[in-house]
Amino acid sequence: MEIKKLLFVTKFEDLCYDALNSLLELRKAALEHVVFLNVIERDKVAMKRGAGYLKEEEVKLKETANIRFIDWAENLFEMGMEVGAYIEVSTLIPEILKVIEKESPDLIVIGRSHKTTLEQLYSGSDVSELVRRTRIPILVFKHIAEDKIVPEKLFERPLLATNWSETGIRMVEYIKGMKNVIGEIHVIHVVKDSVLKSPNAHAVQKVRKSERKKLDTLCNELEDLGIKARSHVYVGDPQKEIEKAAKEYQASMIILGSSDKAAILERWVGSISKNIADDSVFPCLIIPGKK
Amino acid sequence: MSKKVLVVDDDPDVRSFVVTVLEENQYIPLIAQDGVEGLEKIEKEKPDLVILDVLMPRGSGIRLYHHLKTNDQFKKLPIIMFTGIALRSFLKSQKVLDEFKGAEVPKPDIYLEKPVDPEVLATAVRKKLG
Repeated sequence: MEIKKLLFVTKFEDLCYDALNSLLELRKAALEHVVFLNVIERDKVAMKRGAGYLKEEEVKLKETANIRFIDWAENLFEMGMEVGAYIEVSTLIPEILKVIEKESPDLIVIGRSHKTTLEQLYSGSDVSELVRRTRIPILVFKHIAEDKIVPEKLFERPLLATNWSETGIRMVEYIKGMKNVIGEIHVIHVVKDSVLKSPNAHAVQKVRKSERKKLDTLCNELEDLGIKARSHVYVGDPQKEIEKAAKEYQASMIILGSSDKAAILERWVGSISKNIADDSVFPCLIIPGKK
Repeated sequence: MSKKVLVVDDDPDVRSFVVTVLEENQYIPLIAQDGVEGLEKIEKEKPDLVILDVLMPRGSGIRLYHHLKTNDQFKKLPIIMFTGIALRSFLKSQKVLDEFKGAEVPKPDIYLEKPVDPEVLATAVRKKLG
């Protein structure tokens, strides 16, 4: 599965050229086309009592976005890349879906959730809504460092978290498409505390051994493709342990799967993928399962 | 007989501006919203001139220009570039595409950076079409 075209969704305060620049490494894989999308939320130009529709504000916001996109596009065009841009007054997720329909990107890049904590509580985050409504992998971009500087080599040391769900195969296929840009991949499986309830040390070690064996098989498969891979078994709360492993191995991003089941459940109980994507300090690549 | 001019631009305000200028100068305007639709209209409508934007969804003017200028059927079709992208970036991009595809496309005869006065645009069109 190659990444030839990416959709870069930006509000400018969350994702800027430095983030885009770190993704250009994907040119070594297959990236040749970037589509920009800036959605101006309706409430910024909506009817105000006594003022009506703020047409002048709309023009100002659109032109500001246009100037930024022209600047970015010039850099990409000079590299021989194809670039497109959409600037729309709309609602974020429906507009993203519309552009997906027109452009068929292989990857969506979006900044940390645009909704407030209260909005997320009632309607879910933008990311989880997007995961529910598309089968295209989504990279949730964050600035790892406090000084808001984006890592230059985003794909150098990803952490792949697997729970052996049906999305696992798709994740591996996707990673294969990035083999030319990945430096070393750390593959982790977190065994839940509940699985280790047996007082028998032998039984506990048996679980670890079995998981380790599966991870090693996956690592061998990746190494056969030329991707350096290391396996890790962690025990405990998956969200906390994945975050911990990402810190311990100085991961450049976390790669996670997301199943339909998880997407439905998360409305009620929250899923690991959604929680990590929303809360982690690391950029997260979420790969949804097939329909 | 009036000549047909195809305007390829994703911005409805720009299309409307160019169409008005063309109509006032007795040309027949045709419109397309992006590079893909632009190529379809060129093949179907056979315009006498194309006014082409660069940064558009579904196929940029960069690729469309290169495609037209390396295609025997269309290489003589006059094109006026009408865009916010700097000429320098346009020329560099064409050079990179030339390297990829082993071709060498000519520089555009007329390159207008937005915005321009209606008279400048009308003069450019007249220069190409008479």
